[in-house]
Amino acid sequence: MKRNLSNASVISLITAAIITVSTLFVPWWGMKFYAPQYPEGLDIIVYPSTLAGDIDIVNSLNHYIGMAIFSNESFPELQWMPYIVIAFFVLILIVALLRRKSFLYGLIALFVIGGIIGIWDMYRWLKEFGTNLDPMAPIELEPFIPPIIGENTIANFVTHSYFLFGGYLLVLVFILLVFPLWKDRAK
Amino acid sequence: MTTKRIISAVLGIVAGLLVAVVFFADFNQASENASGDLKSKAEKVYVPYGELDEYYMMSSGGHSGQLFVYGIPSMRKIRTVPIFTPDPATGYGYSKETKEMLGGFTWGDFHHPAISETAGDYDGEFLFANDVGNNRVAAVDLSTFTTVDIMSLPNMGGPHAGVFVTENTEYIALPTRFARPLDNKYADLDKYEEEYKGVVSMTTFDKETKKFDLAYQIVLPPWSYDLSDAGKKMSGDWIVMTTYNSEFATTNLEINASQNDRDYIVLVNWKKLEEEVAAGNYHDVNGAKMIDPRDHKGAIYAVPVAKSPHGVDVTPDGTRYIAAGKLAPMMTVFSFEKTFEAIEKEDFTDEKFGIPVLSYESVMEREVDPPGALGPLHTQFDDKGNAYNTMFISSEIVKWNIETGEVIDRTPSYFSPGHAAAAEGDTVSPDGKWLVSLNKISKDNFLSVGPSHPESMDLIDISGEKMEHIMAVPVDPEPHYAQIVHRDKIKTVTVYEKDENRENSVWKQEDARVERKGDEVHVYGIAMRSRFIFDAQSDRPDAVTVKEGDRVFFHLTNIDLDQDITHGFGINEYDLNFEVQPGQTSTLEFVADKAGVYPIYCTNFCSALHQEMSGYLLVEPK
Ligand SMILES: [Cu+2]
Repeated sequence: MKRNLSNASVISLITAAIITVSTLFVPWWGMKFYAPQYPEGLDIIVYPSTLAGDIDIVNSLNHYIGMAIFSNESFPELQWMPYIVIAFFVLILIVALLRRKSFLYGLIALFVIGGIIGIWDMYRWLKEFGTNLDPMAPIELEPFIPPIIGENTIANFVTHSYFLFGGYLLVLVFILLVFPLWKDRAK
Repeated sequence: MTTKRIISAVLGIVAGLLVAVVFFADFNQASENASGDLKSKAEKVYVPYGELDEYYMMSSGGHSGQLFVYGIPSMRKIRTVPIFTPDPATGYGYSKETKEMLGGFTWGDFHHPAISETAGDYDGEFLFANDVGNNRVAAVDLSTFTTVDIMSLPNMGGPHAGVFVTENTEYIALPTRFARPLDNKYADLDKYEEEYKGVVSMTTFDKETKKFDLAYQIVLPPWSYDLSDAGKKMSGDWIVMTTYNSEFATTNLEINASQNDRDYIVLVNWKKLEEEVAAGNYHDVNGAKMIDPRDHKGAIYAVPVAKSPHGVDVTPDGTRYIAAGKLAPMMTVFSFEKTFEAIEKEDFTDEKFGIPVLSYESVMEREVDPPGALGPLHTQFDDKGNAYNTMFISSEIVKWNIETGEVIDRTPSYFSPGHAAAAEGDTVSPDGKWLVSLNKISKDNFLSVGPSHPESMDLIDISGEKMEHIMAVPVDPEPHYAQIVHRDKIKTVTVYEKDENRENSVWKQEDARVERKGDEVHVYGIAMRSRFIFDAQSDRPDAVTVKEGDRVFFHLTNIDLDQDITHGFGINEYDLNFEVQPGQTSTLEFVADKAGVYPIYCTNFCSALHQEMSGYLLVEPK
């Protein structure tokens, strides 16, 4: 078997693996809602395995516009997301141990595909929640799709959505994964 | 060429400096410093939007039975907290637990608030209130500003001289104003001297369970106990009380209780009495452990004082106690050190009612008699060793030095001040910033509202050498004493904790239900923006049907765990209204004695659809 990844590359991959698994404990993505009576803002914070923040308050406000209830149960992804993270952790370690560039290409491809699916999945949910409003709701609103990153105004609420620490760590993981390609580039 | 260079360099530096000055120099800062002393009165009390007052003033509401909460220095009234009086706005006295707490009384006469203390300083956890009208003591939880316990005290005749707390809130003490026979007995007024007694209630308060307990009572001669204070530091084991009516008058007290030239300050060693009570040396009277301090050497002494004194206040360092003369136009400073020395030497001049009377000359340090100042009532303190006295008759505040007796300043008040409250002014570390004079009269100071004028309060800046009268504001009748506590000491909660095990609470919409037990109907319901759910299974979850004569219990939980989303609950024509704050569960209990259809609605504005937050109580005829 041809071992063609340098020591520096292996360290980079191991670091990537550790960071990957550590993202289980930090929030990935969030939304903050501001209104005149909520100048301090209401938070929705998404961890890979759970929702946090002012979920109950947001739900009680959303019922005015007929938005479905946010809860851990409404997002099945949250139940198996930790396994995917752990699987990536293991895969990265394996590639680091085998030190084969061709495996690394496969890993990066998987990571990119996973990322795209993840973002598509988020978009799907945002669309589902924003456009599938209860027609019986007291306040009638045009359906809307909150952005994955950016600002949006719904009734009296201005929402900001953004990636949180975990999201940035995943970008860092990606950089650490591609680093060996540059480090061990053919000379 | 060189000259050009130099010129351009100099110009560059000058331009840079100019930019720096324009952008970074804080002209406001400079002018503020310069005009610090000239700050207008309006600026001193103006709290801009987005900023908060520095102090809370907890002001007794007298016979309204309420606590008035003000912000200082703005003097804005922030909240009225019902203590001894039902309050429809908050449902106090209508919900089951508050109704039980009030015990059938509809008012109380709240004179002297006392914030709980640790090491002689306010800890901001609880506030205690006395009820002179109906012999009770109450506790307000300052994390929610709600009354959490009220206890009735036996053997009392109006606890006017309370409440005050000992250094670490070991006791909340309430000396009685009117003497009365013990044990609710009848005794002719001709037997006043033998059969009537003064009593001090020594109550304890458990901060965990938020419950009072009556530890013991001290039986005293039938003098009237007017005001009192607890010692601090070196005097921490003692309480001091002023008396009047050493004449034992039983009628026309205005004249008959003002005959003797001297009344007394009574000193009681509570530490000693506590030990005796623990040793079982007490009598059971009407369920109270009654102890007579005269039975125990060293437990009680009297100090003669000019007739009918009013306030007696212990200095922040605990070394002196100052009596305010009321009828004698002066303040008398007594030394604890000299008092303890006199006790040691048994320097007694007399014995009254079996109580050793200390020699006035040996314990008195000085008499302070500002010329023309009449009717001193109460003393407060600053951080620089000065005392401030209200002068009821000459309508002024007098500032004087405790150490020297020198009168430093006098300022008029508008009008007839009773108590005064200085910022943390009765603790071991007064702040010395503000003093509020609590006046009995406001005559023509405010828009007329008919024959009865409002009472008034003066805000006085005491941070400088001279006092500065800043403003006067009207107030509901009738505050007696107040305490001013720094805002940092008050830690409020914004929503009640979601306690899923709480009795009668319901947290999920689908768990809302109605249960019938004989002729009792229990509704376990929820309030949320903007609907009631009483019975999740019903086609109409917000309607409840009962039979005429049923006893109905509405157990309502507000599941909106969101700041300031309070829901109310009023029933048409049933004279009922109560509220549930975020995360709270309250119970309303009543007999559905009128058949018919009665709309129920949320009385506390909660959202845009608040108007729609309603339901029906249907009472089927028998
Ligand atoms: Cu409501």
